Amino acid sequence: MSDKRKQYWKGVEQLTNDPAFVKNAESEFPEFLPISDNPEGGSSRRDFLKMMGFGIAAASLAACEAPIKKAIPYVNKPIDVDPGIPNYYASTYVQGGDYSSIVVRTREGRPIKIDGNALSPLTKGCSNAQVEAAVLSLYDNERLRNPKKSGQDISWVDLDREVTSKLNKIASAGREIRIVSNTVLSPSTQKVLEVFQDRYPTTKHVVYDTASVEGMRLANERSFGQKILPTYDFSKADVIVGFGADFLGTWIAPIQYANQYTQTRKITDTKKGMSRHYQFEGNLSLTGANADYRTPVKPSDEAKAVVALYQALDGKKSDIPHVNKAASDLKKAAGKSLVVSGSNDPNLQVVVNAINNKLGNYGNTIDLTTPVNYRQGNEKEYNEFLTEVKSGKIGAVIFFNCNPVYNTQSGADLAKALETVSLTVSTSDRPDETTKFVEYVAPDNHFLESWGDANPAQGHYSLSQPTITNIFDTRQAQASFMAWAGVIQFDYFEYLKSEWESTLAGIGLIWDQALHDGVFAIPENLEAPIFNADVNAAISSINTAYKGSDLELSIYQKVGIGDGTQSNNPWLQEMPDPITKATWDNYVTVSQAWANQKGITFIEGKSNMVNLTVNGIALKAPVVIQPGQAPGSIGLSVGYGRTSAGKVADGRGVNAYPLISKINGMESYAVISGVSVEVLEETYQVAQTQTQQTYMGRETVIQETILSEYQKNPGAGRYHPHISTWQEESGDTHPGALTLWKGHKYKNHHWGLAIDLNTCIGCSACHVACQAENNIPVVGREEVINRRDMHWLRIDRYYSSAPDDELDDDQKDMMDSRKLELVAANPEVTFQPMMCQHCNNAPCETVCPVAATTHSSEGLNQMTYNRCVGTRYCANNCPYKVRRFNWFKYHDNSKFENVNIAMNSDLGKMVLNPDVTVRSRGVMEKCSMCVQRIQDGKLKAKKANRPLKDGDIEVACASSCPTEGMVFGDMNDPNSKISKLLKINDTEEADYIVTKEIGEPRAYHVLEEIGVKPNVTYLTKIRNKDKA
Amino acid sequence: MAIPLDEVVVKEEKQNLEYVSVIREPLVTGGKTVHDVTEDICRQVEGKPTLSWMLAMAMSLGTLGIGAYCVFMLLWEGIGVWGLNKTVGWAWDITNFVWWVGIGHAGTLISAILLLFRQKWRMSINRAAEAMTIFAVICAAMFPGLHMGRIWMAFWVLPLPNTFGSLWVNFNSPLLWDVFAISTYFTVSLVFWYIGLIPDFASIRDRAKNKISQAVYGALSFGWDGAAKTWMRYESVALILAGLATPLVLSVHTIVSFDFATSVIPGWHTTIFPPYFVAGAIFSGFAMVLTLMIITRKTFKLEDYITIGHIELMNIVIIITGSIVGIAYITEFFIAWYSGVEAEQYAFLNRMTGPYWWAYWTMMTCNVISPQLFWFRKIRTNIAATFILSIVVNIGMWFERFVIIVTSLHRDYLPSSWAMFYPTIYDVGVYVFTFGLFGTAFLLFTKFFPVINMAEVKSIIKTSSRKAS
Amino acid sequence: MEKNKNFILGIYDDEDILLSAIKKVRQSGVKIQEVYSPFPVHGIDEALGYKRTRLPIAAFMFGMLGCTLALTMQIWMSGADWPMIIGGKDFVSLPPFVPVTFELTVLLSALGMVATFMIVSDLKPYKKPRLMDIRITDDKHVMAIDLANNELEKEDIKKIVKETSAEEINDKNF
Repeated sequence: MSDKRKQYWKGVEQLTNDPAFVKNAESEFPEFLPISDNPEGGSSRRDFLKMMGFGIAAASLAACEAPIKKAIPYVNKPIDVDPGIPNYYASTYVQGGDYSSIVVRTREGRPIKIDGNALSPLTKGCSNAQVEAAVLSLYDNERLRNPKKSGQDISWVDLDREVTSKLNKIASAGREIRIVSNTVLSPSTQKVLEVFQDRYPTTKHVVYDTASVEGMRLANERSFGQKILPTYDFSKADVIVGFGADFLGTWIAPIQYANQYTQTRKITDTKKGMSRHYQFEGNLSLTGANADYRTPVKPSDEAKAVVALYQALDGKKSDIPHVNKAASDLKKAAGKSLVVSGSNDPNLQVVVNAINNKLGNYGNTIDLTTPVNYRQGNEKEYNEFLTEVKSGKIGAVIFFNCNPVYNTQSGADLAKALETVSLTVSTSDRPDETTKFVEYVAPDNHFLESWGDANPAQGHYSLSQPTITNIFDTRQAQASFMAWAGVIQFDYFEYLKSEWESTLAGIGLIWDQALHDGVFAIPENLEAPIFNADVNAAISSINTAYKGSDLELSIYQKVGIGDGTQSNNPWLQEMPDPITKATWDNYVTVSQAWANQKGITFIEGKSNMVNLTVNGIALKAPVVIQPGQAPGSIGLSVGYGRTSAGKVADGRGVNAYPLISKINGMESYAVISGVSVEVLEETYQVAQTQTQQTYMGRETVIQETILSEYQKNPGAGRYHPHISTWQEESGDTHPGALTLWKGHKYKNHHWGLAIDLNTCIGCSACHVACQAENNIPVVGREEVINRRDMHWLRIDRYYSSAPDDELDDDQKDMMDSRKLELVAANPEVTFQPMMCQHCNNAPCETVCPVAATTHSSEGLNQMTYNRCVGTRYCANNCPYKVRRFNWFKYHDNSKFENVNIAMNSDLGKMVLNPDVTVRSRGVMEKCSMCVQRIQDGKLKAKKANRPLKDGDIEVACASSCPTEGMVFGDMNDPNSKISKLLKINDTEEADYIVTKEIGEPRAYHVLEEIGVKPNVTYLTKIRNKDKA
Repeated sequence: MAIPLDEVVVKEEKQNLEYVSVIREPLVTGGKTVHDVTEDICRQVEGKPTLSWMLAMAMSLGTLGIGAYCVFMLLWEGIGVWGLNKTVGWAWDITNFVWWVGIGHAGTLISAILLLFRQKWRMSINRAAEAMTIFAVICAAMFPGLHMGRIWMAFWVLPLPNTFGSLWVNFNSPLLWDVFAISTYFTVSLVFWYIGLIPDFASIRDRAKNKISQAVYGALSFGWDGAAKTWMRYESVALILAGLATPLVLSVHTIVSFDFATSVIPGWHTTIFPPYFVAGAIFSGFAMVLTLMIITRKTFKLEDYITIGHIELMNIVIIITGSIVGIAYITEFFIAWYSGVEAEQYAFLNRMTGPYWWAYWTMMTCNVISPQLFWFRKIRTNIAATFILSIVVNIGMWFERFVIIVTSLHRDYLPSSWAMFYPTIYDVGVYVFTFGLFGTAFLLFTKFFPVINMAEVKSIIKTSSRKAS
Repeated sequence: MEKNKNFILGIYDDEDILLSAIKKVRQSGVKIQEVYSPFPVHGIDEALGYKRTRLPIAAFMFGMLGCTLALTMQIWMSGADWPMIIGGKDFVSLPPFVPVTFELTVLLSALGMVATFMIVSDLKPYKKPRLMDIRITDDKHVMAIDLANNELEKEDIKKIVKETSAEEINDKNF
């Protein structure tokens, strides 16, 4: 039988006895196994062991992993999306009239970070806190998810049908239609609105600004016959005089001004001079804090000061401090100086123009030939619109991404009047005070979801492109307008592109290039006009208008919250105000003198509430005693007191917009009459991240000098602690240099950060950038009061202590250390960004029992979250107090869902940076010097098979700094920017000593005498004053 | 069957063998015989729990319960329920830790050092003092655990290989030294204490009426039969343990003080901490022993064993250590001024005049001024006064640690980070928890263990229980 | 132990009488099995002619062991197995190792010695003690003489013991 057995072939090869087949016929796997390293193929025992080892390892690893929720793989991978690889898109941030050209970083199709666009000739890669934070508002749960009709959901089709029919009815009835908006920088949008106007001829586009500067444009009309805003160039100015213009913080185009301004402040070996800055203002603003000579004057005197300066230029002495000095300095720097005023009074601005004209600044520091379009509000038209609405003449109002019910002085009246209007539409992308009173809401896309363009200044064009597909059922507002104008199937992108190509292609536009760069600039200048205005008339009207009263109010915008549009953004809410270091609230800032006279104290942020009454409108607000507040003046910021912005903003602070007054018929943030304040028994605690105001004269913390001293000796103002030892009695030993240890040499890289205190203006852009980059939780007002803010990077703001002549008798008897705690009435201000100093002899590392914080071989002090058991010993032993402890679970915790929105909802979590762990409860965290970026840069270089270049790696704070005040780099690389800046020469030949010799005389380490050897270096602050 | 003895012979022997001290106060009064000792000490072990004991037990259990709730909240919510903040990372937690450890010093110190010095007066107090040590150290050990953000990872402080590869502990960290110091101290004290207990357990075993106590004390007494050879070894073990425990006692608080001394924070970074902490520990330890002793001798009628003499001697130790601590305070200030270091000088000025001045001055009054009253013999031999002062001293010592920890942290180098610390109910609650724990443990001890070392006391009955009349 | 062992017990209630008794009994050539007391009696070991215990040596040895263990552990863990840069210190720097070394030395010395003591004197939980007299743990001292070890007659031994003015003289059989 056996020989009769059937033969089953393994295949035709067996039949034909193919030699290749016969060779492997017996082995289990005839094909070659890929996981084999034995040349004959087949699998050896070692392969088996390897596979088994891998299997076990994989299994056990899988066991350790927590299950990943909702990870959906790509079915078809999009061409340009590689998991783990960020994509960058140039775009444009436009908020009202605020403009910044940006680069958006996306991961797996999610925008997670906004940086400045270095290709922009205007913003030059700079940004500010508001721009940096804008990405979070994209993932705000409060955003409208679909169109609404009187609160109920409605489909776009129905909405379009109803709105269009109503518009037709109204138009055919010949009744008025109004489109209300803030400044619209987008030329294409203007075109779209024109199309709409053609369709409905009774339409009029009314533009208003939350902080109107129309007064300047009117003044320029009166002075030069052109109602424009000029381009200012602070970088060319040697003497800068500001009158209540917070041009570094909030005035018109702070990003650009800050960058220009600090170019004049930066001091290098080649440029040993710096501009001199005078500031006359009521509140202590960010700009005033950076001034060399700051004169606190109440608003009415501010106006008088302008006039006084004008007259002082003609030699008429003034008794207002520093005016004469400013005048003489200005004369010296004629043509290389700049005088600006934040006032909205045309008369005042005419005088300012006159001063600048007299100094010949036009054509030098002020450029009328390339006007900017940042503020185009027209108060007259808006007021007309208001009266028309009230009188019922208006048939339809469309609010185009604006919120006048909240952010205009007369919002309440408008809200009432809207009831009479038959068609009210808003295109706001989120509910706000205005959408409450409109019938239809046609939500616009967020700007990160939209196509768009901007024409910020003459000859400057800017594009924005979507970085994510619409998250909700929203529609580009432009498309809505077109739809209502009867253009169906409208593609705004095509429209935009064709518009650009039709207008700009002729003059050298390459669309793809422009889209890639995000900006497109062509020289197109107007001709320079001649100054001719009746200055004396202006002066006389000033003298009559500014009577002044014993208590005046300056309303202002905060650097973080601005006009309140983004107030539902917790990053900005918790960003400490650069000056008051207060979060989550607005408050009445008062002078110490006023507080003394009212018997108010201000301890640990606690003080009395006050009733602030302005021309009949009463508000109840807490008080902050603000050094540098002009006597007889108080301050209050707008942007708070939202009622329907969302759970983050609602009910925080009070709304100051209704308090805006009028001077010479123009809106004025300065209220010079009818202000009264009544102190209440009730107390309130403002949540401050810093409560000690002065630096206690500790030279080891803040080292500063004045320009003349610096020019004599570059090392002026440096503090050199020195002691004598038993070997060396001369007393020249540097205590920080004494050590028991040899230290460790960093063979490859040695990362360092240099911060120039002279260019740091305290704007807090780095602060928000750090928060966005490193997934830093927001903890909310109560926890800030408990002093548990989580910020990795904080900006310490120090006031100078009160000089003896300011002390009263019992203060004079105080102990010296107590005296130092008292703040000067008009203090000098120093900003000091403070983050982990990455000490080479880190005290935190020594004390951790479980070695959860150790030093990297590249000089970084690194924190191992999953090894940390949370003893907090490291934080206690950190002399810089930069370590932050997770007191609670901040993510997925209902207690924090109202403040920490980025970690408590699926939508919010889309903003998290996937390269950075979200820390769990009970572990310590701190600045990692953006180690994820460092690793990324190193990997890129490795993949490209080239050594790392300086500039390959940029840490979040440094890259966001509008003043280039922070320099990050490899201190082992002699050609790196930081090595050059600090003049580092690595003297030690031995392979273990870490100490770098820093040649730059201005460079110092904070607390260098305790010998922790930080890798973060500061450069002394220099003030351009005659005497310290 | 007993053989009647010849009276005369025995009498003569006895008279010749009378020891009578004419100068020294007897350490045991009331003409006790060896048998009386057994009777007196075993009484409360064998008898029913007294009403006062029951009440005390109920109170401690109540306290324990309340405390346990706070501990639960702490573990459930996170360290945030405490009042700590980014500047003051330690406050009540480590204050309590150091305070309890300090109290835990007296026991072993009394037994060990006084044994080395052959101080017989230790004999009737060392047992309870050692018990106190053990329980105090347990309470102390609670805090390094509870103050961790992730207590469930606490075992990482032990040098164990782990899932993250062989990542070991950091032997540079004083906190790690604490782990070793505290655990060693606890173990050795426990052994020392238990060795002392064995013969007494045997006595109770042999008097036990019911099965359970026979079984339990039988097991506890390790089959002790009082053989002379064992006694010989036993004594040399006790002696060597004492020799080991003495440097250990000193090392523990030295190492605890390293937590602060090796740091860079002004007010912590002080080289005199080790001796100063040890003195403080003995100071508070003896105070606590007095507090407990005075209660115990009243409740269990042990006035004949724990005499005024004992109390006076301990009060003298308190004056001495208290004065040492006082000198340490002054030295700190002098050095701060003399160092010329700005931050250092401010730190100490701030202690006296800053927002926490009240804590500082409480410390000063309780620790430096009040013990000086013991210079008066009337006060140091007065039970009531001693009792009050012993409590005052412990309050003072708690504030000493609070002052060192909180006032140094809350205003250190960078004024921008200066902050205040305000305790929450959970700070208090967790402290209360340890009181409950201590009370419960100590009451159990007094009920079921012989509170006085019978064997040792018996050995001195003959020599020092009577005085020449 | 082997069955029916017969002891003569001299019972004393005063340590000094006991001491003199021991001397007398041993002079008269009687071998004393063991003496049991409620508390340590000084000089009894000389009287009975016991050699000094070698426990101190054990303690020292264990101490050395602990010291070595501690140092090797620390040096290996922080210097060899996974060196990490901590506070700029050297990987192996002895000063920080002192505390742990000291503690482990004391710990092992103490535990080792006590363990040895327990073993040599056969003390362990649940061990049934061989009590010569229940009052040993109260106030009586007992001198136990094993008849098997003495060639003298029972009555002679009793006589010798009686002359030492023992309170009682009992027989004890196991």
